[in-house]
Amino acid sequence: MKKMDWLFIGSLFSLIGIGIALVYSATNNTELAWYKTEWFKQIAHFAIGFLIAVTIVFLPAKFWKNIAYAFYAFSILTLLFVMDSGHVSKGAGRWLDIAGFRFQPSEFAKIAYLLASSLWLSKHRVNIVQPKTLIIPGLIFMVPFLLILKQPNLGTALVFTAMLLVQLYWAGFRIIDLFLFVSPVASVILSAVSALYWNLLIICVFFISIKFKYPLWLIILIMTLGVGSGYVSQMAWHSMEAHQRDRILTFMDPDSDPKHKGYQVIQSQVAIGSGGLFGKGFGEGSQTNLAFLPEKHTDFIFSVLGEQFGFAGIFVTLALFFILFLRSIMICRLHTDGFVNLVVAGSTTILFFHTFVNVAMTIGFMPVTGLPLPFLSYGGSFVITCMILVGLLTNMRLKGKDIY
Amino acid sequence: MLSNSQQPEEIRLEINLKTLVFACVCAIVFLILALRFLQLQYFEYDNNMKRAEENRVRKIDIKANRGYILDRNGVILVRNRPSYQISLLYSNLKTNVDSVFSRLLKITDSNGKRLLDSSALAFSFEKGRYQRFKYQRLIEDASLETVALFEERGEDLPGIEIVVESRRDYPFGSYGSHIFGYTSEISEKELEAPENSYYVMGDRIGKKGLELSYEKEFRGENGFRYVEVNAMGRVMGPATGTPFMQAVSGNTLVTTIDWKLQEVAEAAIPEGLKGAVVALNPQNGEIYAMVSRPPLDPNIFSLEKRELHKAWASVALDSAKPLTNRAISGTYPPASVFKVITSAAGLDNNVISEHTKYKTCLGGFHFGNRYAKCWRGGGHGVLNVIGALRESCDVFFYQAGLDIGHRRISDMSRRFGFGSALGVDIPGERSGLVIDSASYEKWFEKRGWKWSQGEILNISIGQGALLVTPLQQTAMIGAIAWGQGLYKPHFLKEVKSPEGELLKKFEPVKISEGKISEQTRQAILKGLDEVVNSPRGTGRRAIVRGIKVGGKTGSAENPHGDKTHAWFAAVAPLEAPEIAVGVVLENAGGGGAMAAPIAQKILNAYFYPDTSRKVLK
Repeated sequence: MKKMDWLFIGSLFSLIGIGIALVYSATNNTELAWYKTEWFKQIAHFAIGFLIAVTIVFLPAKFWKNIAYAFYAFSILTLLFVMDSGHVSKGAGRWLDIAGFRFQPSEFAKIAYLLASSLWLSKHRVNIVQPKTLIIPGLIFMVPFLLILKQPNLGTALVFTAMLLVQLYWAGFRIIDLFLFVSPVASVILSAVSALYWNLLIICVFFISIKFKYPLWLIILIMTLGVGSGYVSQMAWHSMEAHQRDRILTFMDPDSDPKHKGYQVIQSQVAIGSGGLFGKGFGEGSQTNLAFLPEKHTDFIFSVLGEQFGFAGIFVTLALFFILFLRSIMICRLHTDGFVNLVVAGSTTILFFHTFVNVAMTIGFMPVTGLPLPFLSYGGSFVITCMILVGLLTNMRLKGKDIY
Repeated sequence: MLSNSQQPEEIRLEINLKTLVFACVCAIVFLILALRFLQLQYFEYDNNMKRAEENRVRKIDIKANRGYILDRNGVILVRNRPSYQISLLYSNLKTNVDSVFSRLLKITDSNGKRLLDSSALAFSFEKGRYQRFKYQRLIEDASLETVALFEERGEDLPGIEIVVESRRDYPFGSYGSHIFGYTSEISEKELEAPENSYYVMGDRIGKKGLELSYEKEFRGENGFRYVEVNAMGRVMGPATGTPFMQAVSGNTLVTTIDWKLQEVAEAAIPEGLKGAVVALNPQNGEIYAMVSRPPLDPNIFSLEKRELHKAWASVALDSAKPLTNRAISGTYPPASVFKVITSAAGLDNNVISEHTKYKTCLGGFHFGNRYAKCWRGGGHGVLNVIGALRESCDVFFYQAGLDIGHRRISDMSRRFGFGSALGVDIPGERSGLVIDSASYEKWFEKRGWKWSQGEILNISIGQGALLVTPLQQTAMIGAIAWGQGLYKPHFLKEVKSPEGELLKKFEPVKISEGKISEQTRQAILKGLDEVVNSPRGTGRRAIVRGIKVGGKTGSAENPHGDKTHAWFAAVAPLEAPEIAVGVVLENAGGGGAMAAPIAQKILNAYFYPDTSRKVLK
């Protein structure tokens, strides 16, 4: 037990405690029996998740390598299965009912992709100037990515993208490589924002690729993709339907559409801002209690925190998250095995990316994608996913050496 | 990646670098997020707090009660009554929208008539869907019977509630309705006017009569309170720590009306006749009673909208014009009552004296090639001015008028308030028309009519183009008899706060000196006396036991019918007049026969209040 990371465990349980308290305060207006309330169910989710995590910790380290591809294949099957028979919730086929339990295959696909991708990358080199090396990891990524994008679940698809980038970094890409790798995507976004930034990006890509002596074909390919995607996105923007354009504009300026999509973000910002430095107090706050704040116990739980505990509460919670992620990524320093490193980096990325996107959403930095906040947001499947990741990280920490 | 060719130390260094990069990215991201939170929660705190409060609290108006109208003795003439609105509160409907809708459609009154119209009901439900926490009025001003019907079915009709509002109530029905006016919902056009910023949609304001003139006194001051609402608009309860203001009821208007006289006057006019009655105090202009016929039931303006439209259409399109207050808006030829003015003009300018006599009245008068008749075909013989007033001899006044001239007559008319509005404190007063050569040609310019001396014949007996309102006629006879000026007729006596504190008192306003010599006045009073009290007088039906009543009859020829308009203007007691009464009945016949008895009833009620009360009962 000496090897346990008590700082990690401590911040984890602090976050879980804060989460349950917030779910309680955000939903305690209901007149349900205590065992039917959201806060009680959330405790149950964590209890189940904790048991799963403990089980995972004691599994042999080899286990993950053994099941990686099989689990991946199974996960792809479940994703295909929900494509046509999926339980329709919020207009998107994302749920699967098995023996009375509902779960989201996309949640477990994250872990399946994490293991499969880690296993492949730990055994094969990848290099940006050798496109052959990118084919298999690209396929491992693209299949679940496209299936989830089609659900449609943009938020989760973005999580896969973040994992891909971090794992490519760990597998040998340089930061410069990653920069060139994402430049076509950045080109699409910047071309919509401002012509100046877009031009600057293209110029940067050109000089960097020359300076770092990339092969000519790659320079031409990247430049063509960069310039081409920028122009295509411009044309696409002008050929878009008005409502599609509105949706994008609303993200960029929520006040332009205060009663619809932007409403949630504005109310969230008002909730957070009105909390001030020290908050309105636990269980207090008109934005939460009078239902001005939407999705208050799921997507916008962080806004509840902001309203009730103010900047002080936000700061402490962000600090706990930071400690958690720092301690997670530090596990890499204990082991030199590629698989262990890739799993740890990927797991930490999943948790970090969820946190970043969710928190940024509550303050209007990101569009409303529906990504929940790890350990704080209410929801069964996601709690289980997070606890599996926690178990996996701890397992890697304790048994990473045994893997040889 | 971590190829076998690499040394473990190299691998460790590479991992450490990557871990450091990851941690740095993480730290930078969190720092940016934290700064954004600091911006929202510290630098923009005030603005965000304000927006949260604006979300949370809503201002609710507390409507003030409208002030009452009392008569001079404290009788309540206009008050308020509760009005029941059958309303829909959509948020309380829960899931049974369709069943409530069909149940509502099945509700019938005792005659089996459906109370709700399906298309109107569907519209209200549609509106309710968007304003879930706002009352939608289904039946406005429901009768107690209807309220009972809905209350019985309360259990089966969730979401249907009875909202109580305050409406005007007129305990005496149509009596006095032309004085009081009415209230109704403020129109969108009126709401746009800058002076109406006080009002909101659905408020009721005075539209005519005293209700309009003294709207600002009646309306009081609305109060307000703040309630806490949730995101759906449901009221959660009072908002803590917010200001609160009690509504202040409107002021009470104590009028100069003497309700006993008003009732007598209302009852005295025979059914079916059109006309007006005015009774006032010539010493200060206080109006005791004012009646206009045909009557108007002010309660119709408190009715439900659809009913109101029907009722409104029926009164507005009525050829008898019941909406018009004939006492101030009706203009009539003054007829023989005007002979008082003609006499005054002659006597006061020393054109004639008490002893002046003209050619014998043989029933008519030759003027140029015109033969002007006297009303009595047989003629009056030779009369002086007093006799001519008494018997209303036209031939005497034709000749006197020619001597006096139109300028002196019009000057005397204006001195006693003819030709301009007197300024009574209810809207709609007309000025009438005073005729001399200048005004005649101006008035008939378009028709190209020119003034001729012959017009004087018409004017001197109160015919021709002359027009006066019953109020002017009454004020004139009163001012001549009182001899100390013409006072502005008015209804406002006092304004009192709801607690009874005196806020305002009306001081009499002299609008004209009404100067005539004492000699002139005495001669005219003698004439007026003989009209009523002499056996040969035309106004003998106005005699009141023990009181010296003076008066003058008139029978106005007019283009609207065969019969003349019956006029009678009376004043009593003649030496120190306390009350002047004017009566006009359209196309009713002679003034002495038709109008004088009405004036007599009013005077009798004034001087013998107790006996007349018994008679009434």
